[in-house]
Amino acid sequence: MKNAKLWIIVAAVIFIAAIVWCVIIITKPPGEIVTISQDGETLYTLDLSEESDRTITVEYEGRENVIEIKDGRIHMLEADCPDHTCINTGWLEDLPIVCLPNKLVIEFADESGADAVAR
Amino acid sequence: MGRFFVSQAVLLCLAALLTSCGQSEDNQTVDTVSEEENSTSMFAMNTYVTVTAYGNDTEAALSSAEEKIRSLESLWSVTDENSEIYAVNHSGGNPVEVSDETAQLLDFSLQMNERTNGAFDISLYPVLTAWGFTTEEYRVPDDDEITQLLERTGVEKISLDGQTVHVPDDMQIDLGAIGKGYAGDLVAEDLKQNGVKSALIDLGGNIQTVGTKPGGESWSIGIRNPFGEGNFGVLEIGECAVVTSGGYERYFVEDGNTYWHILDPETGKPAQSGIISVLVIGAEGRLCDALSTSLFVMGLDRAANLWRNSDDFEMIIVTSDGGIYITEGIEDDFTLSKNFSQPEVSVIRR
Ligand SMILES: [Zn+2]
Repeated sequence: MKNAKLWIIVAAVIFIAAIVWCVIIITKPPGEIVTISQDGETLYTLDLSEESDRTITVEYEGRENVIEIKDGRIHMLEADCPDHTCINTGWLEDLPIVCLPNKLVIEFADESGADAVAR
Repeated sequence: MGRFFVSQAVLLCLAALLTSCGQSEDNQTVDTVSEEENSTSMFAMNTYVTVTAYGNDTEAALSSAEEKIRSLESLWSVTDENSEIYAVNHSGGNPVEVSDETAQLLDFSLQMNERTNGAFDISLYPVLTAWGFTTEEYRVPDDDEITQLLERTGVEKISLDGQTVHVPDDMQIDLGAIGKGYAGDLVAEDLKQNGVKSALIDLGGNIQTVGTKPGGESWSIGIRNPFGEGNFGVLEIGECAVVTSGGYERYFVEDGNTYWHILDPETGKPAQSGIISVLVIGAEGRLCDALSTSLFVMGLDRAANLWRNSDDFEMIIVTSDGGIYITEGIEDDFTLSKNFSQPEVSVIRR
């Protein structure tokens, strides 16, 4: 019977682990996966919930964009573009951050919230 | 035997748990598999375009849509030396034969000029250029320069006879304030012809939908907050077009003054109507696009009057003092975002 108890304990541990795993999978908020692409080509795929704070520099025809990840959020920190629309967009939310002159796009891989943003 | 029985029972429980967990995901995949989602994105028409289609085998329809956008861009670009608009602007005052699409868009632009009492004007290109909005080399032209440039504008000087356009020698036209809206119409039509029942076209924030979301659900469209980051509300829509114009889209700051790209055709200067953003919703993208710019120029009162005399659009106007005005036709489809500081929404009624 000792073995049976052991079995139950082992199973209970697996059982709880499985529940925790299920809960994590189900409740993991969508919209944490971000892609950075340039002219249609994906340069980076990042999971914001796992990224540590850092900056990424992307070049396009000699011009630079500096993307910053901080506290699980992402935005355009600096850009060599004339309009700075990408910087002014702020932190990534529903609408993609687009740097038109440098053909750079930062967006969530799995859309969250609204289907689109009128802007 | 007892031990075996217990372990068996525990394993069975585990298996049940794991399958139930997996099942909830499976159900979701079943839903999305029956209405597969495909999308394509590209840089075109001076913006970032995404077309998303739902349903099986939409790949061919999407590449057709992509081709359509490329071809319209090559017709209407102001800077592409092979475009029809470039040919019209460099015609030396001679008549130019254009495609059916371009002729229809020009015809519609002339009608919209009349309908908005001149607030919608495709002939402002020389003035826009003087401000640097076409080159991004921003500057503030002085009053004399603007007065001289305004003499080179005026939609009434443009004539269109069938597919033949005549624009006087010193004038230049630009379809930037209507081309994306018309492209939305034509792409939606193209998708439908290719059997697509459900799609969303996003031309740099100009939204056009085909049908409803799979399962008959309405689309929820976030509306950009003109005062800062994020959305100030959400609009639930069916098959239609949604276009916004705002001072935040393109502007520059000089000596503490903000100058945006929406010019008042009367003054040749950034429109100071008290409006900071306009959203227009209607069946036609071309109408919504043209109206969003011209209502911004007209201001709240004139915009409300135009709406009262029309039955083909609804609108949401945000004024620079934070007021939100919505026409009664979409009152029930709009939800104000909780984190937007202005809690009052005024409804414009007929
Ligand atoms: Zn930029």
